[in-house]
Amino acid sequence: MFLISRRELLLAAAAANAWVTPGRAQDLPAHERELYEAAKREGEITWYSGQYSAETSEAIGRAFNERYPGLRCNVVRSTSQVAFQRLSQDMHAGVAQCDVFSSTDFGHYSLLKREGKLLKYQPRNAAGLLPALRNADPDDFYHTTFLGLYQLAHNTRKVAEADAPKSWTDVLDPKWRDQLAVGHPGFSGAIGIWAVQMRKMYGWDYFEKLERNRPQIGRSSIDPITLLNAGERSVGVAVPSASTLLSISRGNPLRLIYPTEGVLATISPSAIPQNAPHPNTAKLFMEFQTGPGLSQVIRQYYAESIRPDVPPPEGARPLDQVTLLSPTPEEAEKYVPEVRELWRDTFGI
Amino acid sequence: MAEGAVPLPAAPAPARRLGLVGRLRRAEPVSLLWLLLAAALVFLVAFPLAKLVAVSLEARGSGAFTLANYATAYGRARYIEALINSLMLGVASAGLSVVIAVPMAWAVSRTDMPGKGLAWALVFAAFVMPPYLGAIGWILLAGPNSGVLNIAWRAVTGAEDPLVDVYSFGGLSLVIALHSFPLVFIFVRAALDLVSSEMEDAANILGAGTWTAMRKVTLPLVLPAILGSFILVFLEAIALFGTPAIIGIPARINVVTTQLWQFFEYPVRVEVAAAYAIPLLLVTVGLIAAQKLLLHRKGFVSQTGKGGERRPIALGPWRWLLLGWCGLIGLLSVVLPLLVLLQASFARAWGQGLSLENLTLRNYRLLLFEHEMALTAVWNTVWFSASAATAAVLIALLVAYIVTRRLVLFGEALGFLAMAPFVIPGIVMAIGFYAAYAGPPLALYGTAALIILAFTARFMPIAYAQSSAAVRALHPEMEEAGRILGGSRLTTIRRITAPLLKTPLLGAWLIVFVVASRELSAAVFLVGPRTRTMAVLLYDLSEQGNFEVVAAYGGILLVLTMIFVAIGMALVGRDFMLRRP
Repeated sequence: MFLISRRELLLAAAAANAWVTPGRAQDLPAHERELYEAAKREGEITWYSGQYSAETSEAIGRAFNERYPGLRCNVVRSTSQVAFQRLSQDMHAGVAQCDVFSSTDFGHYSLLKREGKLLKYQPRNAAGLLPALRNADPDDFYHTTFLGLYQLAHNTRKVAEADAPKSWTDVLDPKWRDQLAVGHPGFSGAIGIWAVQMRKMYGWDYFEKLERNRPQIGRSSIDPITLLNAGERSVGVAVPSASTLLSISRGNPLRLIYPTEGVLATISPSAIPQNAPHPNTAKLFMEFQTGPGLSQVIRQYYAESIRPDVPPPEGARPLDQVTLLSPTPEEAEKYVPEVRELWRDTFGI
Repeated sequence: MAEGAVPLPAAPAPARRLGLVGRLRRAEPVSLLWLLLAAALVFLVAFPLAKLVAVSLEARGSGAFTLANYATAYGRARYIEALINSLMLGVASAGLSVVIAVPMAWAVSRTDMPGKGLAWALVFAAFVMPPYLGAIGWILLAGPNSGVLNIAWRAVTGAEDPLVDVYSFGGLSLVIALHSFPLVFIFVRAALDLVSSEMEDAANILGAGTWTAMRKVTLPLVLPAILGSFILVFLEAIALFGTPAIIGIPARINVVTTQLWQFFEYPVRVEVAAAYAIPLLLVTVGLIAAQKLLLHRKGFVSQTGKGGERRPIALGPWRWLLLGWCGLIGLLSVVLPLLVLLQASFARAWGQGLSLENLTLRNYRLLLFEHEMALTAVWNTVWFSASAATAAVLIALLVAYIVTRRLVLFGEALGFLAMAPFVIPGIVMAIGFYAAYAGPPLALYGTAALIILAFTARFMPIAYAQSSAAVRALHPEMEEAGRILGGSRLTTIRRITAPLLKTPLLGAWLIVFVVASRELSAAVFLVGPRTRTMAVLLYDLSEQGNFEVVAAYGGILLVLTMIFVAIGMALVGRDFMLRRP
């Protein structure tokens, strides 16, 4: 479904290059120019995000500021559940601070939509997303801005390629005791999604067995990468492909593993809260995220492009050669809170 | 002490059947001031606490009376386990702190140990270092596989098992103790300074050696100080948020503070968090009460006077052992963590060791030039802490003055309120503030004001203790002379009292500034996207485990702290932060 021919891709990339050249307002497409004019009166947005890594998120914010001079994106990067906690605290206190909310736990959005907390907006640029990523919400309350792949990785100095685990269930082998590292579903949205998927495939027993191998638990799904780099642990479980590839590109002894069952994919949207203090800038930011601008920035940090006109990052397997695993949004909304509690009971934290 | 020696004219004159207006007209400014201060303290301390208690008894939404929040908060084994973990952690950290600090205090105060200045400097450095930075330093030092200490240990001994595992209950307690022991040191040393050598001489004459005399005479005399500081460290430890989040989560130790955080997950359950926090408050109040009771029963008369002679005890070769102990503690609490943090801050990957290709300025570049929030957070930290320090010292000074000079009836009530936050764990206070002021009518959530107010309240006791010591040291005769010569009370305060208090107050201001600038637990629930402080941003940065950037930011925080500490040392005196008020 993600299939697209190389020639199409090159053509599209050329078009996208013309698009991204930043600066003058008259170069912007009409719908963006209109929003930009309105946004200039607001001046800034605050973006709560748990999707891209901290470094990538900062780069996205800077690219937005460059494309639309005079506007400023305040990047508030944290794990997705913490971002959601911040948003909930805002709502609980009746204070509006967030303009765009981006979470890897796509269950958040159906919940927010049902509670009437989101602003309806259809970004024009969303029509150019990868076909499978379009129309995340038929009612246009949220739109896909992130395609995260979560896999296994190992430190090549501590574990040879031949010995490394090959499937999600391989890490349950007792020989990996005290060598695994994983994030926490109470913090990371993606780990919550992953836990839902693993439970769906193998039952909660999967985590009972994982617990017996005493994985080191960080907060973010990215945390294990640091542990692998340092040699503190040997195998990372459900680590983002982007952070792994970026770390490899910086000379760390890591290798990304494509589990035989398939790769966990979180196709996650962003949304504008109903009470966003800077709605026009927020809409413009949604255009920016669904347009080529975001994809061009993030591919430099090895994250998956979400548009066919921006090529995927280097070193990543093309998406059409990968089996993608993912629970449905309904399952995510219903089961992530459940697996979080189960996780805490099983792992004690 | 001269307080109350002279009947002061300012005491509110018994009303002679005047109307309200008349009474108001005759009221001295100081009565109005009393009202103002009372209002400020009620706003800062009493109301958030009352709100905390009230919210814990309210049903969500309807606000009807209920005990259900307590049932929820204590209805699961995991939640109770967290409470037990916290209590155990508190006892372990406080116990370790006593073990670490008492020999050091004794050595510095009573013996001829060489290098006392160095020991003092190390204690001071451990005091200034933010605990969560120490925690990260210790992860780099004592991670079971990649920690520097464990790598060295394996290389030297060929052992398989690590020497120390930071991700354990013991590791967590040790890391907390290594940053809390200065409290014990300060209190015990102050007490030891007051014990006269004659007491020990008497013991010696009766046949006791140096050690017996210390054990049977000196130590019991300072037992109240040890006990008091034990309780202080206990309270510190159970209220810490950063260290348990950074070390406790990988170590799988859930404690009260990390559990409180969970109650703030969606849907935000402030009422359950409040209910969960109340027993913590009771434990604290109970401990303080128990301490008062214990000390009340025993008469430690010898502690009161400054009389008697004090000679350093000659230790012979033992003095090198004590110096070694001080050096070891300094190494563990300051030198080693700082070294590894420094290395990490310039490293591409902290586990790759010291090498040229691992060297980079990228972490600093990211923070200083590319990170959208890093510099804003530095600025936030400076001005929030400065505002809070100014407000706290101002209020504390006025309260201290009124209480010490007995200018009004019920002045002690103000003093009590100003000291109350001392026994309230920071994170509990933050929840009180969130419940009271985050939402309507004030809707302060996400504003700088909320954080400044919370910091002001949280550190009021420090400012109050310092101010009241300073005011007590000031003899009222000087003011009386000013008043006899015709100055009003306010003129006297402005022209005579204030100049004399300038230096101690600057000291108080700087202490509040430094502790506020690193405060995490009171800030973590109150910050908004634009009001994050360095401590909160460090916590956010640590989420992904990229300790290189965290270490670089920690370095920036330490430089900032050191600038203000240096100012304090230059203007107020070398030991301004370690004096016991």
